[in-house]
Amino acid sequence: MNKTLNTSSAPHIPSRIKVQTVMLWVCLALVPATFAHLYYFGPGILIQLVLAAVSAYLFEWWCLKWRKQPIKPFITDLSALVTAWLFVLCISPIAPWYVAVVGMFFAIVVAKHLYGGLGNNIFNPAMVAFAVILIAFPQSMSLWLPPGGFMDVGAIGNQQGLTFIEQLNWIFTGHTTSHIDAITTATPLSAIQTGLQQSFSLSEIIENPIFGDFGGLGWEWIANWLFLGGAFLLYKRIITWHIPAAVLLTTIAAATPFYLFNNDVFMSPQQHVFSGGIMLAAFFIATDPTSGCSSFKGKIIFGAGVAILTVLIRNFGAFPDGVAFAVLLMNMSAPLIDRVTVPTPYGKKTKGD
Amino acid sequence: MVIEPLSHFHGGLVLRHHKKKSCEKETRSAGLPESLVIAIKSNRGAAPRLLVEIGDRVLKGQIIAKPEHIMGSYSHAPTSGEVIDISNLPSASPDAIPALCVTLKPDGKDQWSEPTRLKKPESRQEIIDQIRAAGIVGLGGAGFPTHIKYYQAPFSDSAGNKNSTIIINGAECEPYISCDERLMLDHPHEIIIGTQWLIKAADAADAIIAIEDNIGGVKKRLMAEIKKQEITNMTVVKVPTIYPTGGEKQLVKVLTGKEVPSDQTPYSLGVIMQNVATAKAVYDAIELHKPLIERVVTVTGDSVQDPQNYLTLIGTPFSHLLALAHCSDSVDKLIIGGPMMGYAMPNAEIGIEKTTNCLLALPEDCTKPEIAPMPCIRCGDCVKVCPQELLPQQLLWYINGNDQTNDLEKARDHHVFDCIECGACSWVCPSHINLVDFYRFAKSELVYLDTKKAKSEQAQKRFEDREARLERIKAERQAKRRSKTSKLTDKSSAKVEISAVLARIKKQTEESADE
Repeated sequence: MNKTLNTSSAPHIPSRIKVQTVMLWVCLALVPATFAHLYYFGPGILIQLVLAAVSAYLFEWWCLKWRKQPIKPFITDLSALVTAWLFVLCISPIAPWYVAVVGMFFAIVVAKHLYGGLGNNIFNPAMVAFAVILIAFPQSMSLWLPPGGFMDVGAIGNQQGLTFIEQLNWIFTGHTTSHIDAITTATPLSAIQTGLQQSFSLSEIIENPIFGDFGGLGWEWIANWLFLGGAFLLYKRIITWHIPAAVLLTTIAAATPFYLFNNDVFMSPQQHVFSGGIMLAAFFIATDPTSGCSSFKGKIIFGAGVAILTVLIRNFGAFPDGVAFAVLLMNMSAPLIDRVTVPTPYGKKTKGD
Repeated sequence: MVIEPLSHFHGGLVLRHHKKKSCEKETRSAGLPESLVIAIKSNRGAAPRLLVEIGDRVLKGQIIAKPEHIMGSYSHAPTSGEVIDISNLPSASPDAIPALCVTLKPDGKDQWSEPTRLKKPESRQEIIDQIRAAGIVGLGGAGFPTHIKYYQAPFSDSAGNKNSTIIINGAECEPYISCDERLMLDHPHEIIIGTQWLIKAADAADAIIAIEDNIGGVKKRLMAEIKKQEITNMTVVKVPTIYPTGGEKQLVKVLTGKEVPSDQTPYSLGVIMQNVATAKAVYDAIELHKPLIERVVTVTGDSVQDPQNYLTLIGTPFSHLLALAHCSDSVDKLIIGGPMMGYAMPNAEIGIEKTTNCLLALPEDCTKPEIAPMPCIRCGDCVKVCPQELLPQQLLWYINGNDQTNDLEKARDHHVFDCIECGACSWVCPSHINLVDFYRFAKSELVYLDTKKAKSEQAQKRFEDREARLERIKAERQAKRRSKTSKLTDKSSAKVEISAVLARIKKQTEESADE
């Protein structure tokens, strides 16, 4: 017993959870929705995921080396994979290869490492990447595949679909044997926007076969699986209920008055919830703790802000979907919200009781 | 006083208990070690005055140090023997900070000093005096002198009804520690009678013994004893086992639903809280005239082969207890207290103090963190568990986040001084950041800056006051002179003045001539 004893400070028993574990659970929660995506829109998402993940890790490695940070703990923390995965779920499965590379450059290099790396980013990296893509390559984001079967992507009616090889060809070379222009279609949200600009009424627009019962066909199922993945994160206590509840309930609350006012022009609340990125934002994007708010009250304000801005941008903005911009705007406001929502600690609630 | 249903505090942790192994066996005596190292300390204020010198022979129970300050407490010789050393040695406190220690070599006779036959106390003051004379301090860990808590009492409402409550804290929420549970199983009678004395000392209405709901058998034994003594104003309440439910503020919240105001003691709510071991010590002091010279210590941990509770003399070196419990060489950390808030000790030659409730020997595989700290990802797990409802990650940001600007004041605004250092945030942190260390740093740094600021303000005030005083004296002198010169301008009064002066001079010269 004459050896030197360890005198580091309490707590002396290690905790159970690591950053990697948190990130791993988030990835696992994204798996069901990714499968749904695969089922409806074909293997394009896998190609994009590999592309984005590889470029994300290359950028991550390069930045860590450049910033003289220890490589191993940061490269294994899985945070870059989460960023890549979230980004891929936002972009078109047949986007050209440089979309993922440019996106990941902005996510990892600009949004993450230029702001100080893991835990110091002000903006959600995946949303920064998506916003850049929306502005820089709008045409690539408007080219979606119509939802079909897994083996028969894009097959609607007697139209021939795209094979895996054809998708690969298209993503990397921009050429394909079949007529891609005949197959691709708009996302439900941009279909609505263009439709409205052409003075169609909403009820006419959603007769297009890309629409399903609530939102877009396929999209609504992806949203369902995202909801399940989110519920899993809630169960694992990775996230709290505050932000998802605030986002979803506020979306409904904000969309309803518009819909009641004029249901020919404004989307129904369920269409809002099940289309585009709102479900992803509710459980996976707005819940990003680094760029969000700290207190429970702050989280509710943050979530509600994302929802209101999204609905406003969708209804009145120039872009079909506003989730990315809504999240970035709320990221900017987060420090301010944090400042005004410091919770009252124990013993300071009732003065002079 | 208890408000049913029980309230709950924010956050907290569910931890593995690790208590069973040490608690299932009856408490054993640790016996006489080869030497006792008794630290002479004061909770705050001046250190107590030593009454012994090297070479003195002392008897068991003899006073060896006397407090010179209201916050101090008496120290008694735990056994008879010879004082062989008085020097500054590492003590069982954070960082093993050196304290004045009396090293006593027992002579093996264990001979009591002439017992001071005290009569049973009758008034409140007599009870408090006897508690003080026995050197009793809070045995739960903080070591707050027990008698202080009763000076403010009694607590009554405007109609004069007694409405204060004694809470006996038997909620040992830290893992591994089982000395209080064992004490309640072994000595329910002593604890109940001791509590009754505390009720009298505070002139309180009733008492609650709070225990955690995961310990079996304790409530039954205590209730049986309360029934046997026909006591009506005492109950035993089981509280949910959530760390840190044994924290003073948290237990008050659970039992009463009220929160102790931030800068006050539970007494502001009419509550006095004592540890069960303190109640037992009060029994020993009043019923047996025995000062506080021993306590139950849990010796446990994965490096210990026979975890056990020992009735230990104050000053017994850790090494003696570890040998009794067969501690192996695998020990990497020797902790006094529990794994969440305890302090790691540099060696085993330090003596047990009145507040040392547990000796925890953990091997490397239990303590070594798997990864180096990562940056905070602001996941908010710490916010979820903080029992004080703070924002731990924001505090970290303000304390550590920015090297250029001093944001410690922001940490103060975010209530860093309300942190009870329970370690729940550090424990859940997925980035393995030792958050509590940052808060301790911020607190001490802020206190230092405040003192510095107060001192410079004081110095400035002193300087300004001095300037003002000199100015005033000068002005007064001038006024006096002016009044005199103004008098002299009047011819008739000048004459009178001058003749008076001349008369005085004349008288003085005459007097000196006479001599």
